[in-house]
Amino acid sequence: MDLTPIIPAIELTVGILAVIVLDLLGKGRYPWLTTGVALLALAGAAASAAMQPVAQVPGETLLGVLQLDRFSVVFTVFCCVTGFVTILATTRGEAFKTPGGEFLVLVLSSVLGMNMLAMSVDLVMLYLAFEMVSIPSYVLVAMRRADARSNEAGVKYVLFGGVSSAMMVYGLSFVVGMAGGTSLEALGTAIAAGQVTNQALWLVACLMLFAGFAFKISAVPFHFWAPDVYAGAPAAVAGFLAVASKAAGFLALVRVVGATMSGPVPEAADPLTTFLPDGGVLIAVLAVAAVLTMTVGNLAALRQREIKRLLAWSSIAHAGYLLLLLATWSETSIAALLFYLVAYLFMNLAAFLIAGIVIRERGTGELDALAGMGRTNVGIALALAVIMFSLTGLPPFFGFAAKLQLFYAVFERGFVWLGVIGLINGVISLYYYARVLGVLYFQEAPEGEAPRLQLNLFDKGFCALLVVPILFFGLFWGGAWEWAQDVARDFHLVLGVR
Amino acid sequence: MLSLTTLVFLPLVGVLLCWLLPAKHARVVNVATSALVLLLAVALWAQTDLAASGYQFEQQVTWLSGVVSEEGIQYHVGLDGLGLSLVLLTGFVTLVSAIASWNIEKQAKGYHMMFLLLLTGMLGVFVALDLFLFYVFWEIMLLPMYFLIGIWGGPRRQYAAIKFFLYTLFGSVLLLGGVILVVLKTGTWQIPEITAQAQAAVASGDAGGILGSAGLCLAAFIGMFIGFAVKIPSFPFHTWLPDAHVEAPTPISMILAGVLLKMGGYGLIRIAYPFFPQAAVDMGLVISILSAIAIVYGAFVAMAQTDFKRLIAYSSVSHMGFVTLGLAAGTDTGINGAMYMMLAHGTISAMLFMIVGVIYDRAHHREIGRFGGLAWVMPKYFVLASLAFFASLGLPGGSGFIAEITTFVGAFNGPHRTWAIVSLLGVVVTAAYYLRTLQRVFLGDTPEVYKDRTAYPDLSMREYAILVPLALVTIYMGVIPSTAMDMVKGFVEGSLVPLLEAAGGGAGS
Repeated sequence: MDLTPIIPAIELTVGILAVIVLDLLGKGRYPWLTTGVALLALAGAAASAAMQPVAQVPGETLLGVLQLDRFSVVFTVFCCVTGFVTILATTRGEAFKTPGGEFLVLVLSSVLGMNMLAMSVDLVMLYLAFEMVSIPSYVLVAMRRADARSNEAGVKYVLFGGVSSAMMVYGLSFVVGMAGGTSLEALGTAIAAGQVTNQALWLVACLMLFAGFAFKISAVPFHFWAPDVYAGAPAAVAGFLAVASKAAGFLALVRVVGATMSGPVPEAADPLTTFLPDGGVLIAVLAVAAVLTMTVGNLAALRQREIKRLLAWSSIAHAGYLLLLLATWSETSIAALLFYLVAYLFMNLAAFLIAGIVIRERGTGELDALAGMGRTNVGIALALAVIMFSLTGLPPFFGFAAKLQLFYAVFERGFVWLGVIGLINGVISLYYYARVLGVLYFQEAPEGEAPRLQLNLFDKGFCALLVVPILFFGLFWGGAWEWAQDVARDFHLVLGVR
Repeated sequence: MLSLTTLVFLPLVGVLLCWLLPAKHARVVNVATSALVLLLAVALWAQTDLAASGYQFEQQVTWLSGVVSEEGIQYHVGLDGLGLSLVLLTGFVTLVSAIASWNIEKQAKGYHMMFLLLLTGMLGVFVALDLFLFYVFWEIMLLPMYFLIGIWGGPRRQYAAIKFFLYTLFGSVLLLGGVILVVLKTGTWQIPEITAQAQAAVASGDAGGILGSAGLCLAAFIGMFIGFAVKIPSFPFHTWLPDAHVEAPTPISMILAGVLLKMGGYGLIRIAYPFFPQAAVDMGLVISILSAIAIVYGAFVAMAQTDFKRLIAYSSVSHMGFVTLGLAAGTDTGINGAMYMMLAHGTISAMLFMIVGVIYDRAHHREIGRFGGLAWVMPKYFVLASLAFFASLGLPGGSGFIAEITTFVGAFNGPHRTWAIVSLLGVVVTAAYYLRTLQRVFLGDTPEVYKDRTAYPDLSMREYAILVPLALVTIYMGVIPSTAMDMVKGFVEGSLVPLLEAAGGGAGS
């Protein structure tokens, strides 16, 4: 048996065990050591994932449930990077000065789950990996035992997660029944062969299945947990949930949707007459969810006065944009999804990092706490301004490039109406992103000059590390886009369709 | 050294200098950079062959290879007479506005950096020949403008800044939608190439145009039209303008009215109309009606204003209506007139906003009803103000007259004659509100407060330096229209009008 696919997983597991043992032996006295080990494990996993040989064609699977392809490699690296940044950001944010051993173990386990999820080509494995991502996150959210909001957030997260997970399992049981097997391949074959005849049952199954994914990616109507949970969790953890957890949900969705999309993508019809995507029920569900998610997310964000809640609603809206790409399934869409997620990673991790730093210094995450920072902390205010403009999708920032490719993919398939709704949503989002800027630059601090945020070199360097790519890829994203197209092409080859 | 790239990115060097040097030098850097930009623009003018067709000083480098189309996104700039006229206007209005910014004290460094960044964006829009590049410059301008209004504006600056930002972004995303459709179907980002495809489609009688479907062309045209109309601003997308103008500091109002509004008209002439000639001709009537409403309604609303600056703002709405009116006619004279209107309005409105700024600096209010008899206190100011007023209301001898008469004749000879006649009403109302304002502000008895010579000195040297060049250009353009007209003619008569006529518009129908 070739164990190559699970080398990163083995490294992560060793890291988890090492952290536990060192934490126990050292009685928590050497946090820098355990942190170092955890970071090393993540870096090692990312590095070895990046070096794995990948299948270019429908390839071998490990036990029929795990498949190593470029898509899984990319997402493993993606999640390891997010985990890495999260652990580092925790040392800077409001939560703990030095992360405890249990925190590190939870982050590593969640990343391990994501690694498994990235490779799953079997519905049961997919579900298990899903839970492996979720359960550590529940604890991560509730880690600050003394904080009532943190506890409340944890309970909410568990309840929502449990319910949606149950719905997903129930939906899976239908899907497996109809497909006659648990593998995605079996599902694809069954659909291609026209074995799924009961459309009503298939719709129910799709809706149930979608409930599970919708919870992870915080799509409407399973989004209610996100603002409360993000607000209650430490900023770094909220960033982890917004980026890695969401990306994992999208990854799994891509795999499942990909399996159901048998046969070549139909040629784009006349854009003005294409109203609903033709790809079956699941695609229709996704299209509706996309429109609802981005609109609800943006409209709700308009009223937020707290930075983490604002970012939570913004991340819901972004989930809506990303869902558009699944609803308009094509090779370009998958490339755009990947590209968008990379942009999303930098923008959100940076935003949550700065949110954490502000909360650490000011003791509150209210937007008004940012007042006057445009003059007292020029650098960090500028970084935040870049992030906000990029999230809105204004050039010359990475977020614009990502949105351009996103809407290009949507228009290419002929869904002008979906694209226009998405574009108008971008305008709505400007209002709340600009509010952050308004507080930063236009609003005077309450009593005289607010004290300057005390930032050390590490804070600044860390912010710069995340913000510079937003600037760089805003101007020179040609290479990154070609890479995303490459990965998407390989992914379609591996899928063996189209 | 004399290249468009130098011209466009020179202000960025200024931004860098502003950042590095102490704050007190920022204004010097700003004026020097703006002057250098104008100098470069004039030097380019001297070397431009206005008789030649196509673009000059072209520079083309692959920027983002393989993005969407095979050749990818190019850094592609070029200049023709049309672009040149607006580059010159930009350089000129920016220089006088930079001088008008001399007294800005609040966060001077940031102000001048934003100001110069804005200049790069504006110049870039007028020389970009790649749709992506065009869009990037188009959007980049929003960022400094937002801060310039929001930080250095009047009491309701936050509201005005976000309103400006939201409205223009709304227009921009519709424009972006149109751009994506165009690039998707034509497979190129290059504006000249897409125009050539549109020409080929019209010549072969293909009703589908560049998008291969008449309906889609119409949709894309409407999207792009709204995108540009917000900037112009055309009725009914004009409501951001009075707020932005009133709250913006004087120099920024000057740039806003003098240059930014022109970008909308430029976009229509360079992009929306040539790309979709058929749709443009089909929409001619609607656009004519909207223009007539803008002209007449704008004039009436201006008449009702009590705030001096708001009055000027609404007069802009009214005057910019002539731009779309001339365009909708699709005739040589009509579109030449529309372009001339943009150039004339650029200088006159900048002058008018400066005139409001001068009195606001002294009186700290802008209520027309509270002024009176200022002519006796500030006679030189009165002379220049009346010159601007008369030029704006279209008195012969000023550039506004040439612009209005050309546009009107063009529109009258075009297919939508009725609406040209309706808009004449606007000209009458315009005369009425300017004369009334002149009378209420400058004539009659002087209230006691304004008799204080120390509080109400006549124009300073700095104010002369701003107003006199503007006045001279206005008169020059009113007396010798051929200089500017020759610049715009090449593109209008050589490319755009034949295209529209082939699509069944203009005088041909």
